[in-house]
Amino acid sequence: MTTVDDAPAVAAPPAGPLDRLRKLRAEGRLAAQYRTVASLLAELAHGENALTDLARAGQLLSRLDPDEAVRETAAAGSPVDTITVAITGHSTLGNLTAPLTAELARHGIVLRPRLSDFDAYLRDLQDTGSLLYTSGADLALVVLDPQMIFDELPKPWLVEDLERAAAAKLAQLDALATRYVEHGTGTLVLNTVPLLRAHTHQLVDLASRNRLAIAWRELNIGLLRLASTHSRVAVLDLEPLIAAGGPVTEPRMASYAKTYLGDELLARYAREVAHLARTLRAQAKKVLVLDADNTLWDGVLGDDGPDGIAAATTFRGEAFGQFQTVVKQLGSQGVLLAVASKNDQDNVLQVLREHPDMVLREADLARVNANWSPKDGNLRDIADKLNLGVDSFVFVDDSPFECGLVAASLPGVAVVRLDEEPALHIEKLLADGWFDVRELTAEDRARTALYRTEAARQDLLDSAGSMEEYLGQLGVVVTVARVTEGQVARVAQLTLRTNQFNLTTQRLQPADLRARLDDPAYLVLSIRSADRFGDNGVVGAVFARRAGDGLHVENMLLSCRVFARGIEQATIATVLAQARAEGLAAVHASYRPTAKNKGVRGFYPSVGFATAAETAAMDGGELRFVHDLAELPAVPAHLHLDTELERPPS
Amino acid sequence: MTEDDFITLVRDELGLPLANDELDSELDGVVSWDSLHILRLVAAVERETSRRIPIGRLLADRSLRAIYDRVNAAVAA
Repeated sequence: MTTVDDAPAVAAPPAGPLDRLRKLRAEGRLAAQYRTVASLLAELAHGENALTDLARAGQLLSRLDPDEAVRETAAAGSPVDTITVAITGHSTLGNLTAPLTAELARHGIVLRPRLSDFDAYLRDLQDTGSLLYTSGADLALVVLDPQMIFDELPKPWLVEDLERAAAAKLAQLDALATRYVEHGTGTLVLNTVPLLRAHTHQLVDLASRNRLAIAWRELNIGLLRLASTHSRVAVLDLEPLIAAGGPVTEPRMASYAKTYLGDELLARYAREVAHLARTLRAQAKKVLVLDADNTLWDGVLGDDGPDGIAAATTFRGEAFGQFQTVVKQLGSQGVLLAVASKNDQDNVLQVLREHPDMVLREADLARVNANWSPKDGNLRDIADKLNLGVDSFVFVDDSPFECGLVAASLPGVAVVRLDEEPALHIEKLLADGWFDVRELTAEDRARTALYRTEAARQDLLDSAGSMEEYLGQLGVVVTVARVTEGQVARVAQLTLRTNQFNLTTQRLQPADLRARLDDPAYLVLSIRSADRFGDNGVVGAVFARRAGDGLHVENMLLSCRVFARGIEQATIATVLAQARAEGLAAVHASYRPTAKNKGVRGFYPSVGFATAAETAAMDGGELRFVHDLAELPAVPAHLHLDTELERPPS
Repeated sequence: MTEDDFITLVRDELGLPLANDELDSELDGVVSWDSLHILRLVAAVERETSRRIPIGRLLADRSLRAIYDRVNAAVAA
């Protein structure tokens, strides 16, 4: 018999993530455990005081030497990624380092901050010897604040003075952005500038106040336009961040420390910068996997039946319907949507097809996995079926158990933890810019349809007797052609997103690609494909440069949707034939291994290239190949190949 | 706010490895102290206590003890 006396002592509650971080630091294990840090920070990011807690964690992390983190994680087998960020501005910006350290650490990236002096931004942008230019920074943050204008006004000032100062500042920043793009190597990050009541109400007449407001908006619009007129310039709009809450400025911090932007605003700014860093590194998430019960609809389908669940008509139901609308909005922009639900597959499909409340329908979803297996396994299955890495997934669930399971079992998956308040689902989903990309292409918008036709191809494959029979029935048409202006965004994006069939993983921003297009020594080709199920659009590219000893293929890549249909063989046959037609001596190519492209290591030998050299594993283990053009590979018989290689007359 | 609460807050908020007896040290002697720290510390105390503390006078103080005394006076007021 159990009595009160011998009942086990109540276990102490598990230490919170901040305490576990402090413990790691106290034990000197922070550097070696930097990857664990990301999951601790993910927990903090779900909390009520996320921004404050992350800044505190960032404070701890920022005292760690980045080199030590790289060294110790490398010793443990996988070195962490680092990013160098130069920080300058008009204001004191010491408070930015902690939240920025934390926001980047959430993505497993160690910050190497290069903080400039107070109010040095103009000098830093002007002087190509400043740390903006010399630190090798991937991101150059030039943090703008309202005081940069007001400090330049005569005392006292008229609204005309402000109009002139704002216009002059915009022109100056435009010229300095041009200078940065010309001499700098990273991405310049500017921001729009808030206008405070303490500014507008220094003017007592309403007409002047109105003119001030207009001049200020024109400054901000002009700043935003700099992002479209300059490559490698990003402008973060602070307005939505300010609208999310927290004071724009703390008057005492502004007065005593010359910190003109408040901590909470800087924390939100840091989050946007971290996602920008992910975007530039092509680490945007591609797939949104959603739970169903109490995530997409109110109620539990298995218990309540289709008539007992709601995504419209009731207070709570409408909130779920609005959430579905936002999910569909993301889906319309190339985010692949999938469902992972503990339910019977047929019941979920029936709801998606027939339930009157649903905004999301079966056609919006690339996969529906409704079954009773653990969700981490279902996420792996969805990744296999879509031929994508599970680390490109975002998982959304209202169950703390499922969220915890996926976070623990698949640390690369970003987990969005919903709760029992559906009106907050949208904010929680959008709290991080997981799907941010630089530019959307037509292929992005049609992506779900592309993956759904992929399922139809799979059915054909399953019913065909052999691979040859399948390919024969598929009716593949391949077009290998010079990249046109209209394809620049898509081809650059392919270089940034493609990981598996990517021979050297050379990433190209649109500006890098244009430089190659303008260079007559370059052969830059796009690969389009289509079959009986539809047009796949641009699915790959080849970058090659003519030199004295032949054609050098810098890189070749192909979307994972269209592997193993003979498209890669047809493409390389085209390149080889072109080299021979131009009278070149040989074609040189290389393979540079990454964690994800092992599958194409043998590609060049399989199409007749000889291995010319292999560098040591510690130098990257690059393989070099050469084709002597004596015997060209045949274009696979099952496909139809069109080529457009002539250079347009200039 | 007790001395221990205050020291804990300094450690947490500023990430400074502060010993308990350093409450009486001159600020210049405390590990890697900079002037922004006072402002950040006050912001944290205000968040915890929901009381506003006059910063202007604090900035002239030379020890954590003096800051602690002023903070306590403001919180108790």
